[in-house]
Amino acid sequence: MIGLHRSPAFGFSQEFAEYRAYNEGDDPRFIDWNVFARTERMYIKRFLGDTNSHLMILLDTSASMGFGGPPVSKLRYGKFLAASLAFLAARQHDAVGCMIFDEEVRDYRPPSSRAGKLQGVLHCIDGAEATTGTKFDKPFQKFSEQISRRGLVAVISDFYCDTETLLASVSPLAWQGQDVVLFQVLDQQELDPEFDSNVLLEDLETGEAIEVAPQFMREAYPQRIRDHIDALQKAAMSIGADHVLVNTSDSLDQALRNYLLFRQRRK
Amino acid sequence: MALLAPLFLLGALAIGLPFWLHRLKTQSSVRQPFSSAMLLESSEQQVHLQKKLKYFVLLALRVALLVLLVLAFAKPVFYHSPGVLAGEVSGTHLILVDTSVSMSRAGVFSQAIGAARRAIDAVPNDALLQVLSADGSLHLASDLSGEKQAHRAALSTLSVSALHLDLGDMMKSVDRLAESLPAPVTLHVISDFQASAMPVRFSDLVSSRIPELIPYVVGTGTPFNWSVEYVRETATGLDVALSGYGDRERVADVELVLNGAVIESRGLSVTGPQVIQFAKPEYAEGDNQLAIRIITDDDLQADNERFHIIEKTPPIEVPLITYASEGLPVTYLSAALESASGDAFVVQTLVAGQFDLRVLSRYTWAVVDDISSVDAELSAALIDFLQGGGSVLAFAGQRAFELETLPVSGHRHSPTNVDIDGNQFLSVGQVDSGHPLLSQTEGWHNVNVSRSMPVEVLDGDKVLIRLENNEPFLIERRFGEGRLLLVLGGLNNRWNDFPVHPVFVSFIIETARYLSGTHDISKMHTAGDTLSLAQVGSVSGQVVDPDGNRVLSLADTTREQQIKLNKPGFYTVYTTEKEVSIAVNIDALESDLQTISQEVLDRWQDATAGQDPAVAVAGSRVPDQEPVPTELWHWLLLLLALVIIGESVLGNTYLNPRRAEQG
Repeated sequence: MIGLHRSPAFGFSQEFAEYRAYNEGDDPRFIDWNVFARTERMYIKRFLGDTNSHLMILLDTSASMGFGGPPVSKLRYGKFLAASLAFLAARQHDAVGCMIFDEEVRDYRPPSSRAGKLQGVLHCIDGAEATTGTKFDKPFQKFSEQISRRGLVAVISDFYCDTETLLASVSPLAWQGQDVVLFQVLDQQELDPEFDSNVLLEDLETGEAIEVAPQFMREAYPQRIRDHIDALQKAAMSIGADHVLVNTSDSLDQALRNYLLFRQRRK
Repeated sequence: MALLAPLFLLGALAIGLPFWLHRLKTQSSVRQPFSSAMLLESSEQQVHLQKKLKYFVLLALRVALLVLLVLAFAKPVFYHSPGVLAGEVSGTHLILVDTSVSMSRAGVFSQAIGAARRAIDAVPNDALLQVLSADGSLHLASDLSGEKQAHRAALSTLSVSALHLDLGDMMKSVDRLAESLPAPVTLHVISDFQASAMPVRFSDLVSSRIPELIPYVVGTGTPFNWSVEYVRETATGLDVALSGYGDRERVADVELVLNGAVIESRGLSVTGPQVIQFAKPEYAEGDNQLAIRIITDDDLQADNERFHIIEKTPPIEVPLITYASEGLPVTYLSAALESASGDAFVVQTLVAGQFDLRVLSRYTWAVVDDISSVDAELSAALIDFLQGGGSVLAFAGQRAFELETLPVSGHRHSPTNVDIDGNQFLSVGQVDSGHPLLSQTEGWHNVNVSRSMPVEVLDGDKVLIRLENNEPFLIERRFGEGRLLLVLGGLNNRWNDFPVHPVFVSFIIETARYLSGTHDISKMHTAGDTLSLAQVGSVSGQVVDPDGNRVLSLADTTREQQIKLNKPGFYTVYTTEKEVSIAVNIDALESDLQTISQEVLDRWQDATAGQDPAVAVAGSRVPDQEPVPTELWHWLLLLLALVIIGESVLGNTYLNPRRAEQG
């Protein structure tokens, strides 16, 4: 199974990880003869390598993430995504942690691969509620102070923010050597809104209400959102981060598969 | 255009409401949450532009709705000319058809209608026409117009009446009508032109506004007619006078019909006027309806029956209260009352102090020959009698001058006590001859008064006669349900000579009828007369005509009425007090069928045509072309209904998208 981080290979280390049945071609130095003596079957010892990573999931729970549906809101989709990533990483014995944030850090679980810590991460993700506004600088600053090891940082948000502001928050993580993936979760109604008549749209975070015409929402707005997505992508690329657009109307497994294939090709 | 109710235009201020409401709706009421407004752009201008376009029609409809509503209430009228200008017509032609009784002769009225049709056809097409009928009064049968068909149709609505036509009265009415008609006015008269219809003065036939008269004589020939001229009661029976017009001997049956039953019939050969005597029939109590019927084939059947009312009522006892039964006042009063025809009254002399006062309640009214002598007990009894509905005729005797206040009436001496020099006399100055009591009396100015009894007139008094010094002489005063007639003078020939004048007898008899209620309705009338039905309490009465039909509606029976008696025969009048029969006969003048001579007709035409043209044209002036108003509110309401429908439909279409969204 291909892992999430860049070096999925198991290497020599003092920390035993697991046994695997011997296959023709495996290095016989790693055959555990004690096990053979007991079972008359050959097993290879696998050890945690220096390239084992950790996954930090940063989940945006600002009010804008509460938009969307049916069937699910962006936050709920993001939770599913975060949980899925956490599970996959934990299976690979990667340390998983999470941080729930909006304008502030609402909850934090440091990365750990110990048994039972996944439950804690999942519980933290599950308890996230859409709250107030979005600010990346403060939470990300706190995060960068907390984390020391390099690993994978998956930021799950709708990224309704200024690109420059985002870059300023994310760049330090990239400079730290973190592998940053920006999962931009958007609802279909945000990508391609449909309104039959003039409507007063109220910003879930600021409460600002703007009356828009259906023609604008049909023609100009989709271009704007596309432009914003493109700008985000470019900004991510500029700091070596990945940008993944996730449409809540797509099935979760399809979205993950697409990303993982993308990661594999990048390898 | 004008507005009949312009104040309603103030409602136009309500037009501001839809404008205000539409301005309020600057934002869509539908709010939807959105993730972020970061990438949104306000489309206010677009929205407003769209709204302006989208809601403009709706706003316009709502404004139009209010404007139409306001205008409809303001009642606009559009004035336009009647369509015929004076300069565009060649004049006016009046087609007047005689519909008096004499026109009911066989074939005569149909001849008249035929002549009227020919007259209408002969009128120029650019002239105005109007059809009239005349009997006792002038009637408009059609409206003034050039539509000949309408006027021909109006002829079919005409019918002969039971009234008499007087040509003089007819021309006066036509003259008044012609004042408002376009000149010149030509009068076409279709009639049998009875000689008896001629007015007393020939000049009454000529109208300054009618420059041309065209007579159409119908019913020519030598008509023969019989009629009953009068019926008179005698001591032994009835005298019936027949009048004949024409010189042919005729055989006729004369029937005497009493209360609907033929009690005697006699065959006659009549050649001229004669009086037939019938034995006195047995009359029933009350009003007897007597009809004399001639059965013959004369030319005018309508006057072959004469109606008469014979009253058989027991004499009404009249108490005469006196302190001197042998005095002159008793003599004068008794003689006057008992001289009334038909022995209508019998006097019961009651000497004051010698009769039980309670007997007064048996009488309808009483006479007091000297009210100044009445003592307190009798005064109280008389006041009770009056307030109980009884009536009193009282005279103020000489003792009245010694009293400050008259008994019973309560009149006081007025401050000015005029004492006339014995050699000077006052005459009667004013007489209210319109009062039913006095309308049949005359000769008051012959009465001489040497001393009057000046009294202060009280509230509620009606002074019927005043002397020439303005002092009251006869006062009528209501006492509850009853009434007091007070003569301020005695009957002993000392202060006046009233009892020796003929007016005294007629006054006493009329007073007796007035106070006993036998006076109020006259029983013999001529067709065309008016019967006055006075209101008593909350009702006046009901009248049933000779055909058995009620004349008045239920509402009319509560009001005083003037009823036209247009049909010959017996009417029954029901009042709150009694039931009275009335006999109505055709005017005897209609029985003489002799026509006006051609010479007189020619003279009439010449007199009409010989007027000064300038006067004739000036008299029949061009009428002011009063504009004809046409009200427009009906159209406005129709338009309003359409606007309401449009506004509802349009408003609903704007509502539907929001309902879909909310669904």
